[in-house]
Amino acid sequence: MTGPTVTMLNTFLIAAVVSAPILGASQNSAAPPGGNAQNGKKVFEKLGCFRCHGSAGEGMPQTGKEAGPPKIASPHLSLQDFVRFVRAPKGQMPPFSAAQVSDDELSDVYAFLQAVASQPKVELPSTANAQNGQRLYSAFGCYECHGLQGQGSTQTGGVRIGPPQIPFSGFVAYVREPASQMPPYTSKVVSEAQLADIYVFLQSRPQAVPSKSIPLLNQ
Amino acid sequence: MGLRKKNSVNRRDFLKNVAASAAVMATPAAASPSPASVTGTPGAIPVSAEEELRSLTPVEILTTERTGSDFMVDVIKSLDIEYVCANPGSSFRGLHESIVNYGGNSRPEFITCCHEESSVGMGHGYAKIAGKPLLVMAHGTVGLQHAAMAVYNAYCDRVPIVIIGGNILDATRRISQVEWSHSVQDAASILRDYVKWDDLPISLPHFGESAVRAYKIAMTPPMMPVLLIVDGELQENPVASDATLRVPKLTPTAAPQGDSGAVDEAARLLVAAENPVLIAGRAARTPAGMTYLLELAETLQIPVIDQMDRMNFPTRHPLNQTDRGRELISGADVILGLEVNDFWGALHAFRDQMERTSRPIARADAKTISINSANLSVKSNYQNFQRYAEVDVDIPADAEATLPALTEAVKRRMDAGRKNVFAERRAKLVDAHDQSLQHARDAAAYAWDASPISTARLSAEIWAQIKNEDWSLVSTATFVNRWPHRLWDFDKHHQYIGNAGGYGIGYNAPASVGAALANRKHGRLSVNIQCDGDLMYAPGVLWTAAHHRIPLLTVMHNNRAYHQEVMQVQIMANRHSRGIDRANIGTTLSDPPIDYAKLAQSMGVYGEGPISDPKDLGPAITRAMQVVKRGEPALIDVLTQPR
Repeated sequence: MTGPTVTMLNTFLIAAVVSAPILGASQNSAAPPGGNAQNGKKVFEKLGCFRCHGSAGEGMPQTGKEAGPPKIASPHLSLQDFVRFVRAPKGQMPPFSAAQVSDDELSDVYAFLQAVASQPKVELPSTANAQNGQRLYSAFGCYECHGLQGQGSTQTGGVRIGPPQIPFSGFVAYVREPASQMPPYTSKVVSEAQLADIYVFLQSRPQAVPSKSIPLLNQ
Repeated sequence: MGLRKKNSVNRRDFLKNVAASAAVMATPAAASPSPASVTGTPGAIPVSAEEELRSLTPVEILTTERTGSDFMVDVIKSLDIEYVCANPGSSFRGLHESIVNYGGNSRPEFITCCHEESSVGMGHGYAKIAGKPLLVMAHGTVGLQHAAMAVYNAYCDRVPIVIIGGNILDATRRISQVEWSHSVQDAASILRDYVKWDDLPISLPHFGESAVRAYKIAMTPPMMPVLLIVDGELQENPVASDATLRVPKLTPTAAPQGDSGAVDEAARLLVAAENPVLIAGRAARTPAGMTYLLELAETLQIPVIDQMDRMNFPTRHPLNQTDRGRELISGADVILGLEVNDFWGALHAFRDQMERTSRPIARADAKTISINSANLSVKSNYQNFQRYAEVDVDIPADAEATLPALTEAVKRRMDAGRKNVFAERRAKLVDAHDQSLQHARDAAAYAWDASPISTARLSAEIWAQIKNEDWSLVSTATFVNRWPHRLWDFDKHHQYIGNAGGYGIGYNAPASVGAALANRKHGRLSVNIQCDGDLMYAPGVLWTAAHHRIPLLTVMHNNRAYHQEVMQVQIMANRHSRGIDRANIGTTLSDPPIDYAKLAQSMGVYGEGPISDPKDLGPAITRAMQVVKRGEPALIDVLTQPR
């Protein structure tokens, strides 16, 4: 794993811990198909899945050398494999134990992801303006926790967001209903169009050069 | 001890009689005879007008060779106190004069401070390097009022400082409005809630016993500041008789060790655990504490989460898993806390949104063990004792003193099977540690060339130039994202001293100067990453560093704000959906920008900056290092990212 993604992972873990209710552990194996998609959406949001995979499970295309969170809408896995993966994922995704989310609830999430493909997604408008986004990024105080370049800060708890590691829909959803200590920004304070400008500003932030190429970081 | 008083005329009597003499001089009827009347008598011994005047007034003996404050210096010297930090005050002028003259201004040496908060702050930093207290003197009224916040920090941070407050208890001895304003019935009351002990000695033998007792109490874990209120009369009056004066012997006090049964139970749990975690707060009081902690960790192959309240554990040791803290705690079956200030907080996650919520992150079945000397000295009023933690094995004892017994108990319970399990655990932890270091380096690469300069870049530039020196980071690392601990190789106890303790801003600048003072005799390079807002509380400590030739490299983390508070206001503004465009009001220090290089220069400190281009930072540090190596302080002002 690379450093930035682990920063994200750590924060995701925090978010997951904070967001996830302590649910009664289910000892059952994977529940049969036919879950409740409506409840699945709630669980999906409650667990913070949208924060990486987007509100419609659309995932994040690869950025630079890093693979973003994959598309999970219309999962091609069987329900059993889906549950197995959530319990013991590969890559950067944190595991979710039965204490955090039961098999029945995962069955509902699975149903939601099957249905979600037909739902409208939040698209990044083509007119989004990075220059205005830079201005808004400072004006809305994003820099206070995330740094002026979106590099993140362990002390504030603001993760690295430049360049973004989550899809635009997840970005919007997170800003509206953040986990952990981030204060929520309602549409009264920042519009979706403004968030799009900020998002493309963050997209314009350069990827870091490999740390191994910086002598001062190899002392 | 050989000098004795020659009379019993005290300062107040002297002043009273001078006033009487002056009254005589001003009275026409008592005027001196004319020179003709005294010089015209043949054979008479000529006398001056002054001699004539003296013959008309009571005999006054205006000096004394030994006062109570001299004896106090004898006592202070017996405690081997190296320094006394103070700005001058009339209520302790006797002791001040005795220190610099009778005591030769050596052990203790008078360190001239510009604020009582600086005096105590210096004592705070000094003690964490020296392992013992220095002396602070202050007025019992306005001085202790200034000192109060810094005393609270030291109290919360379990740091010993001996404080003497001057006072004039006898109302009939106060000679001016000033002395009335600087006198108080119960001078210690302003600090009593956050010192470990205080006393008001009313005789010199009483002072001797109380001073030694105070020192012992301060130095017994949990260490804390102590306070003596010393009356001006007691300081300044001549010593009546040395026959009753002796300096009490300072005897060592053993640090409180944990109950043997409880320690054995802790060992049993730790040996049997599959996923134990050790959280270190103020665990290592001394270099020996680091050694003990290392031995326990390596015996158990237990991951260590360092809360960095002290230099507890080497940063590049494979068992240092600080960056994985929450992950490890959430999976742990046994959690050992060593001098953890907020054990409950370490095991819970918080959310500060519309409602403040918390949630346990540890397993419900996890067993918890706490060794904490703070439980031996709990007070009621100030709430730094934190939330009640439901600890399974609670050992009220000094962790450092208890660690050897705990390690031995662990070894007794280990068998070959457990040793194999521990070895396997270590292999996983080695990989995880290496990954954490690489993650930190990768994260540091973001905004590497940004201006204002990233705190990661700032930390890396400093490290490049100090890594081959005997260095000591004498400032907190919290506000620069812990980058030093994530990037530097800390492996000695004097390389870090922790934080303020009570989160009172204004700690860092004086504490760093005090720690540098303690490092000076060891020839160490003291490094201070200094927040701008903190320095502005009492910047006069820069002058103290220059005046006393205290070598200290200060690199400003100048984000031109009380940044923590910017975020607090933002949280409120967002909660109310009002936008944050006014969050800068009352929280920023940008208009006009403060020129810290010039501030330093004005106080005789080498100053350079502001530096905003990261390429300029390395050469500036090089230049400043040359100054510091000459034995002087230097400051570089660096414009930085917010965090």
